[in-house]
Amino acid sequence: MRVLVSWLRELVEVPVSIEELAEALTLRGFEVGAVEPQPPNEDGSLDAVLDLEITTNRPDCLSVIGIAREVSTLYKTDLRPPSIFPLPDTDSTPLLTVTVDDPHLCPRYVGAVASVSIGPSPPWIARRLEASDIRPVNNVVDITNYVMLETGHPMHAFDFDKLSKPEIRVCSGNIGGTIKTIDGVERRLQPEMLTIADPEQACAVAGIMGGADSEVTETTQTVMLEAAYFNPTNIRRTGKSLGLTTDASYRFERGADVAAPPTAMNRALELLITTKAGTPQGPIVDHFPSPPTPIVVRLRHNRIGYLLGQQIDETFIAPTLNRLGFKVRLEPDSDTTAWQVQVPSFRVDVKREEDLIEEIARHHGYDRLPTTFPALTRPPSLPAPWRARDGLLRRLLTGCGFSEAITYAFIERASAQSVSEDSENIVALQNPLSEKASVLRPSLIPGLLDSLIHNRRRERQDIRLFEIGSRFRRNDGESQALAIAMTGSATSKHWSSPDRKSDFFDIVGVVTRLCEGFGVQIALEQTRVGHLVPGQTASISLLATHENRTPIGEIGQLCPEFATRRGLTGSDPVFVAELDLRPLSVDKFDRLQANPVPRYPSMTRDLSVEVDNSLPAADVRGTILASAGSTLVEVKEIDLYQGEEIATGAVSLSYRLTFRAPDRTLTDAEVQSSIDAVLRALAEIHRAKQR
Amino acid sequence: MNATTDITAIRAAFETDLQAIATEQDLQHVRDRYLGRKQGTVATLMRSLANAPAETKPALGKSANALKRDIEQALSKKGTALRTSMKSTDSLDVTLPGRELAFGRRHPLTIIREQIETIFETMGFETLQGPQVEDDYHNFEALNMPADHPARDMQDTFYLDQSIPGTGDPALPATLLRTHTSGMQIRYMETHTPPVRIIAPGLVYRRDTPDLTHSPMFMQVEGLVVDQGITMADLKGTLVEFLQAFFDTETKVTFRPSFFPYTEPSAEVFISCVFCSGNGCSVCKTTGWLEILGCGMVHPAVFEAVGYDPELYTGWAFGIGIDRVALLKYRVEDIRLFYDNDLRLLEQFPH
Repeated sequence: MRVLVSWLRELVEVPVSIEELAEALTLRGFEVGAVEPQPPNEDGSLDAVLDLEITTNRPDCLSVIGIAREVSTLYKTDLRPPSIFPLPDTDSTPLLTVTVDDPHLCPRYVGAVASVSIGPSPPWIARRLEASDIRPVNNVVDITNYVMLETGHPMHAFDFDKLSKPEIRVCSGNIGGTIKTIDGVERRLQPEMLTIADPEQACAVAGIMGGADSEVTETTQTVMLEAAYFNPTNIRRTGKSLGLTTDASYRFERGADVAAPPTAMNRALELLITTKAGTPQGPIVDHFPSPPTPIVVRLRHNRIGYLLGQQIDETFIAPTLNRLGFKVRLEPDSDTTAWQVQVPSFRVDVKREEDLIEEIARHHGYDRLPTTFPALTRPPSLPAPWRARDGLLRRLLTGCGFSEAITYAFIERASAQSVSEDSENIVALQNPLSEKASVLRPSLIPGLLDSLIHNRRRERQDIRLFEIGSRFRRNDGESQALAIAMTGSATSKHWSSPDRKSDFFDIVGVVTRLCEGFGVQIALEQTRVGHLVPGQTASISLLATHENRTPIGEIGQLCPEFATRRGLTGSDPVFVAELDLRPLSVDKFDRLQANPVPRYPSMTRDLSVEVDNSLPAADVRGTILASAGSTLVEVKEIDLYQGEEIATGAVSLSYRLTFRAPDRTLTDAEVQSSIDAVLRALAEIHRAKQR
Repeated sequence: MNATTDITAIRAAFETDLQAIATEQDLQHVRDRYLGRKQGTVATLMRSLANAPAETKPALGKSANALKRDIEQALSKKGTALRTSMKSTDSLDVTLPGRELAFGRRHPLTIIREQIETIFETMGFETLQGPQVEDDYHNFEALNMPADHPARDMQDTFYLDQSIPGTGDPALPATLLRTHTSGMQIRYMETHTPPVRIIAPGLVYRRDTPDLTHSPMFMQVEGLVVDQGITMADLKGTLVEFLQAFFDTETKVTFRPSFFPYTEPSAEVFISCVFCSGNGCSVCKTTGWLEILGCGMVHPAVFEAVGYDPELYTGWAFGIGIDRVALLKYRVEDIRLFYDNDLRLLEQFPH
């Protein structure tokens, strides 16, 4: 809302400079975004336009009078609203009739007819409109806009002679009907859109924009002026479906003043007469079948202090509210001080006691309220388990050289499909910003890949990223996941040794470390996943016992075709893993009990066996663990060999076994019998040969 | 073979081994081989002397002891030589860089979020986490924003094309991306009685075209305090404390009236500009102030929606944009940089 200070001064005394005024309004909740100097007035006084930000709850301040009312409360000066103009007597037959189909959508309709002589507005009107960013059109249209700016109430002027009959009907738009609005756009009307119609056609989209057919032009001789009140919700819906916001609809949808139409009409006719733009014909029609009862709110003095934390002096309350337009009456026989406050119809935002307390707080000044700290009346809760979980994840991953990424929850459909088993499971947005962000991610991998590509394109070869975030699927909704991605060198470049590129086992190592951090073991199994390279893809399961496995994710090398399609450059493969975070928790550490530190030495034995190439190493390890007996404390895979001396289709696996007993030093014979047992089991189950 | 030739052979073998010693490790190996208590060559020799004929025993014993002494002396001498020679021949260029240990960084928004959480947790607040897809009731209606409320325009919303399962009541499936984390406050109040003292950080979504200061996804923290006798002065005191703890103790804080449907009275909070200390610059548009958060006393309609008695309980709420705070605190010029995940930016932040 742009307010010309000289116009404001006409309606209220402003006892301070323009800068001070701007500052004071800002502190009362009307942020002055800019003070634009204007040419000085004829009396030499400085002038300026204040560009005010009006919050959506204060449509009454989308007017000079509304701001003047605030200024009058601020400085305790008198408000000088334009007085009601004594209109000349006219004969008693109105020249038009008004019918309203649904009084809920249009509770009040005020209309008047005037003969006009169209021409330019007088310079003072034109200047005030221009200062308010409204383009002057002609004297009649300008008056309707002037009245809107001054009173806050939108008006519209129709070319009376272009109405088929002087019978105004406020009704819903006909199905299939259209109207050409004054901006020249042909608009399709819907039944839920309210229109102003003559007996033949719609002449305006009510409260939003007039029709081109009945537009006031240079040749117009008679006009019908409209000042009505329209249902805010209906205006808002119609404006949205037409994609149209006007100065009028902006005010109506926030809530106009149902008492204002006659005042606005009177003011418009006054201006027509005094600027010699026209003469009223016949009386004003005021269709207002059921005026609403004014809202009365009880305001208790002690409640103000209870909410604000500071008792406000009683003598401040009633005068402040009175100046703001409320009618305040002290309750005569109440135990505590309380007022009955009648809310003026222009204050559509005030419905309950708190709304009045805000008015008191605003004019008292927020900065004058004390600062206190609320007492704790119950011990605070311990941090939720997810806090420890996410903290541990971040520590482990940053410790492994991974940096944290945050990527958008919405991705391209093609990307989502590449990582989704079932495209029916992808959740799309109804109103995406673009095709590149049209569905919710079913996996964190595409977003992380895009971030990796971003870095690769900026001369980064070695990239390690992770993200903790939500993924979305139609069948099971939102869930928390972790994704990691790595490419480039496995070790930092150092002058002492050659580089090694990351491979599948590097990312397996990261995931293993991560799960160890949570005190859980994992098992990997060869699997097939659309976006990962076949043969270098595994499912990850949490291993509670050998039999009890909870699947938590997938790991592998990203298909180069997928990565290239997303824009990846360079030849280094990209390895990724994604884990469901729900099964991971740090709860178990609360119940952790330490084992005694070993008192007796351990013995190690190395063991090489030749087995079929297709046998998963995990099975061999499983057999060793199961057959070695209780003194086996660790198994490590130390070598894998194929080639000379090894049969085709076979592989040699070497293990280092560590044995230890908690209560004695093991003898060679004991360890040897364990090794023999292992070899027997390996031979029986896997037909393994010792080497 | 007799013991005499053994001793000669051991002596010869030792001389060879002694020559081959190049490092401390080699030295230890040789010492173990010859002087080891159980398996050592000398110990084995000594044991074998027990079976020697009585007449040769004393002479052999003497030679064996001499051998042991000679080996000990030679190794000790070698050790000294080794330690002395290392100083000159094995010296390193200590100015060469060490082997780098890979270490990643937390995202700057995580760092800021955790700082904010820590400050509020020390003030007795509990940190909540909740769903990013929400139902209309928890995102809007329960917050005094019925359908067609103009305030919904302040938070232009992304809607899902079809609803998906939500986190709570199956009758309330998720239909939109949350525009703020207030839904978590509603959920918390639905299941807890006052007093309430919570913060709810998380990603939120608004249908804004990306530019320097807008992103369709951003991170926010909201806070809520409810109890008997909670006042607007408490709101001011807590937020001033927080802002001064977060920015610096000299930060000036001012409260101005504003409007949010879920609070009444509502306020916008400004801090003295962190760039110009309030003297006026381009960032604060020469006003000296930066808008930092929105807050207010919880609207009684919100209490009614969750079944709290608004006559008995009062409370306040606030919401602060983590991205905005991060932009100000770290002097990053473009919000979109936070979602590029460019390592050249990320690696500037602490671990």
